[in-house]
Amino acid sequence: MCLAIPGLVCEILNDKRVMVDITGVRREADTTLLEESLDIGDYVLVHTGFIIQKLDPEQAKEDLKLWDEILSS
Amino acid sequence: MSSKAAFQSKELSDKLILKIRELMKQLNREIHIQHVCGTHEYAIMKHGLRSLLPENLVVSAGVGCPVCVSSAQDVDEVLWIADNHNVIIATFGDMMRVPGSKESLYQAQGRGVDVRIVYGVSDAIKLAEQTPDRDVLFFSVGFETTSCVTAAEVIRTTLPNFSIYSSHKLVPPAMELLLQRDDLEFQGFLAPGHVSTIIGAKPYDFIPEKYNFPVAVAGFEPVDILVGIYALLKQFNENTSRVDNMYKRYVRYEGNVAALKALEEAYVVSDARWRGLGVWPDTGHEIADKYSHIDAKKKYEIPELEVTDLHGGCICDEILVGKSKPHQCKLFNKACRPDHPIGACMVSHEGTCNVAATYEEIIWED
Ligand code: SF4
Repeated sequence: MCLAIPGLVCEILNDKRVMVDITGVRREADTTLLEESLDIGDYVLVHTGFIIQKLDPEQAKEDLKLWDEILSS
Repeated sequence: MSSKAAFQSKELSDKLILKIRELMKQLNREIHIQHVCGTHEYAIMKHGLRSLLPENLVVSAGVGCPVCVSSAQDVDEVLWIADNHNVIIATFGDMMRVPGSKESLYQAQGRGVDVRIVYGVSDAIKLAEQTPDRDVLFFSVGFETTSCVTAAEVIRTTLPNFSIYSSHKLVPPAMELLLQRDDLEFQGFLAPGHVSTIIGAKPYDFIPEKYNFPVAVAGFEPVDILVGIYALLKQFNENTSRVDNMYKRYVRYEGNVAALKALEEAYVVSDARWRGLGVWPDTGHEIADKYSHIDAKKKYEIPELEVTDLHGGCICDEILVGKSKPHQCKLFNKACRPDHPIGACMVSHEGTCNVAATYEEIIWED
């Protein structure tokens, strides 16, 4: 139910809708619940047709760095 | 390695499991962690993670699946509206087989009630647009992840033949009620990743502050879950408690500001009924007065109905708080199966009993 699916923004349709590529399938998604603006190439989480969060690439690197630290500790 | 590959990496998982084993050796006692998320349960079982963890590390499933926790009363009331006002019920596929006191939506459909499965609230609105001479009721369940989507539509929809029955629930206050129960023994919370993308890590701060209890926010790849468990063990080892956000790529401390605004605008915090657990104060979201034109509970005068949440020995009330495991129910995989659910925990593919029946794993046996 709370499952949100990661996808890649592949087209900006208008200020409230974008096209997202979810493992090869293109789907329209609503951006009403996102304050930040989106660009083509952004990774997002999609839940029942709405984008609920955008992946933060800097933080993704942080996650990976943290794991490296855990593993080398 | 790309980040996606890293988050799914078997090599990383293997190393993390070794780290977890090392830490458990140092801790040298039984540790019990509870998650509160159906998607976590699904991922844990699908990847067989429990069988890889040391025996004295127990990870149990708490109140995490919105389908499982919805009360029979909600199903009964929605069906009462359908029967008495000839409305079309639109809801998520997962809700179809959730048992009401006498019947599920699926069974009611068999006797002619018009029930339609939709992907989300927006499709229910489209349905209302296509059927202007019929009322459409969207039966909305969900935690913050789903209820903010419904909130967006509550705010902008003005269709006269459309209403929403809210069965929305809140995660952090439910976690607090679990903490206050003295019959549950666990020492740390794995907080749900997708709910946290909306609410952020901040709403969990009271858990270490007030209860001195560790929390780690975790995502859903095997590595994410193991990293979350590792973070909790680290806190035990350091004899401290805090909120570790281990899903930073999607979870900000403050959450999703626009989604939180929508929640606050569309709803008021209310008491909520949890399956077999009664009414839990301040754990639900009802539609705010300002939007009462869209609130099915206000649009239709629902009489008091006699409600039965648990049928024929179902122990969903204990499953939902992580007190019992599915195989401890005498109906599990016998009378109650995924193709024939008797209790709500057997319905959704993220329900604790359903997941256990689908991915039966030795670890559930004592
Ligand atoms: S196995 Fe079925 S009847 Fe038993 S607790 Fe689970 S859902 Fe309820």
